[in-house]
Amino acid sequence: MARGEIELSKLRKDFAEVTAVDGIDLQVPAGEFFSLLGPSGCGKTTTLRMIAGFERPTSGQILLDGTDVAYTPPHQRNVNTVFQNYALFPHLNVFDNIAFGLRRAKRPKAEIRERVGKALELVQLGGYEKRKSSQLSGGQQQRVALARALVLNPSVLLLDEPLGALDAKLRKALQIELKSLQQEVGITFLYVTHDQEEALTMSDRLAVMNNGRVEQVGGPQDVYEDPETLFVADFLGVSNLMEARVVSAGPTACRVALDGYELETRGTEQDVTGEAKIVIRPERIELEDHQAPAGQNRVPGMVERVVYVGSAVQVIVRAATGEPLQALVQNTGTEISYEQGMPVQLHLPVDALRVLPSGIGDAPSLKAEEAEQPKGAELAPG
Amino acid sequence: MTAVAEERSRTQFSTGTRLRGWLRNPWGKPRFLVVITWAYILWSIVPVLIAVQFSFNATRSRTVWDSFSFRWYWGDPVDSVWHDPTLRHALLQSFKLAGADVLIAVPIGLLLALGLARWHGRGSGASNFIMLFPLVTPEIVMGVSLLLVFTEVFTFIHTGTLAQILGHVTFSISFVVVIVRGRLFSIGRQYEEAAADLGASPFVALTRVLLPLLTPAIVAAAAVVFAISADDFVISAWLSSGGPTDTVPIRIYSATRAAPLPSVNAIATIMMVATLIIVAFGFLTWRFFTRGERRTGGAAEDFGGAFNLS
Repeated sequence: MARGEIELSKLRKDFAEVTAVDGIDLQVPAGEFFSLLGPSGCGKTTTLRMIAGFERPTSGQILLDGTDVAYTPPHQRNVNTVFQNYALFPHLNVFDNIAFGLRRAKRPKAEIRERVGKALELVQLGGYEKRKSSQLSGGQQQRVALARALVLNPSVLLLDEPLGALDAKLRKALQIELKSLQQEVGITFLYVTHDQEEALTMSDRLAVMNNGRVEQVGGPQDVYEDPETLFVADFLGVSNLMEARVVSAGPTACRVALDGYELETRGTEQDVTGEAKIVIRPERIELEDHQAPAGQNRVPGMVERVVYVGSAVQVIVRAATGEPLQALVQNTGTEISYEQGMPVQLHLPVDALRVLPSGIGDAPSLKAEEAEQPKGAELAPG
Repeated sequence: MTAVAEERSRTQFSTGTRLRGWLRNPWGKPRFLVVITWAYILWSIVPVLIAVQFSFNATRSRTVWDSFSFRWYWGDPVDSVWHDPTLRHALLQSFKLAGADVLIAVPIGLLLALGLARWHGRGSGASNFIMLFPLVTPEIVMGVSLLLVFTEVFTFIHTGTLAQILGHVTFSISFVVVIVRGRLFSIGRQYEEAAADLGASPFVALTRVLLPLLTPAIVAAAAVVFAISADDFVISAWLSSGGPTDTVPIRIYSATRAAPLPSVNAIATIMMVATLIIVAFGFLTWRFFTRGERRTGGAAEDFGGAFNLS
């Protein structure tokens, strides 16, 4: 099962004035659902377009099952793409759109009819053969685009923000469908998105990209729980960031001081000294009664704002250290007991606090990149 | 001040306000613009309608209406369009030039547009700019230059039909390029990329995907080229060798300098109707082929604007 393995090596793309992709290395084993996640302009789409063959790399290698295809024209690569705007041919009906690739491959008529039918069944659009793409809803066009790409049995399917144009509810439904479809066909999916939730829910692994570089590679849980850079911490979900001074750092535990309070945090492999940032997720902050006994990692604060968001309550607390911190309290049906001006005690659990070197998010240092390489290799089976 | 005078001034005031309100009601139609538009349409169409009306006059007058007849189309045994050989030849020559122009300029313009739209490098900007030259060069300058070229440089081409066709093609190509390139930009590269992604070589992508998508632009360009060629006077006149190579506009021009008959109106009406039919056909084809496309970024509207070029 070595079909669909992608390896990018020192891949780089310079446009006239900007470097879109700045020498990235990635390994995606066959059959994985892998996402490239990042803000617009981070180089994720350019990376995908280079793998598809629409852009020619400035330098570097694209290994598809071990062969370098960086300079193979797109029509000779065994990858297929689902485009952001679907790019269904408007002059052809659904059947002819899906059959387009098979006809280019000169398959016999009977086989084309059978495979198109099967592909339509796969995306649950049986009976839509004669429709024009303009007569389909956004979600249906999306499925036709999927069928058109999958019917050719590619070893890798590239998806460029395929759900971007759909409304939230449909997007959720299709996320689940796409994931199960991927498991059904068992080929590699390389999925580009700027939607962190989409990337987290669907991917086996993901790479967070920024400024043409890969910031971190890992499983959704690793990347979310264990961000290695400020950028990743900030981009994925909501993070409370605080300035702190490192007192002691080590692989098992660190101590940081901020404004008269000393906190213990998780250990780090990274080299942190002096000024650093500490990060905690809103859902990990515990709110306690202000009269509860003070103790380790506890900071007094005052409720500044309470926002009801439905499934949870967002409580913005001004900590005694000066920073406003956001805490997320699950809505369990009991009455909201927090109100503006109420004193509380914040508990920042040791295992939820992380120290990150300042500034790494803006200009990723070589160190951060080196740190992720072995991780990607070790997660790759085989 | 009497109560009556007060009452009157208030009424006048409110009438003025109402008129202003009718013209610029921010929630209603832009009536002010509607009024101006209709005024312009009437202004521009009235002379045409008058010319058409007198082509059906039963007497030799082009100013005094008598009664309706087809005398100047075919009724008159000597001076009608059908029976006067100079008029008949002019009509034929005009259609011949327009037809040849379409057949030559459209394919060349199409290839040029494809090349220019896909060529991003040194000189592409300049080429795109030079493409617009024939659109802004005064026609009279172009006519004189072409005549010089054919009499001094390419002397094997004599004035007459061939020179006229070459002249028409020279300035028509720009129109084709502008229209086709507009469509190319509005459809973007995504369909070509999708075709390549599905295994189509660049040539197959061109014939199976790009050309079908360009069909509306090609038809529109053909209609526009036909219209401007049939309409052309300056270049046709400079490159004409007289007699049978005079086109309808030349014939009308020389006729009106002598003693014009309503047959001039008749031949003008025939040209106008023929051109209208062809442009309408082009427009309907364009509408038919683009009917299913989603309107993104007003591409359709931009493209419809191409028809205003004629």
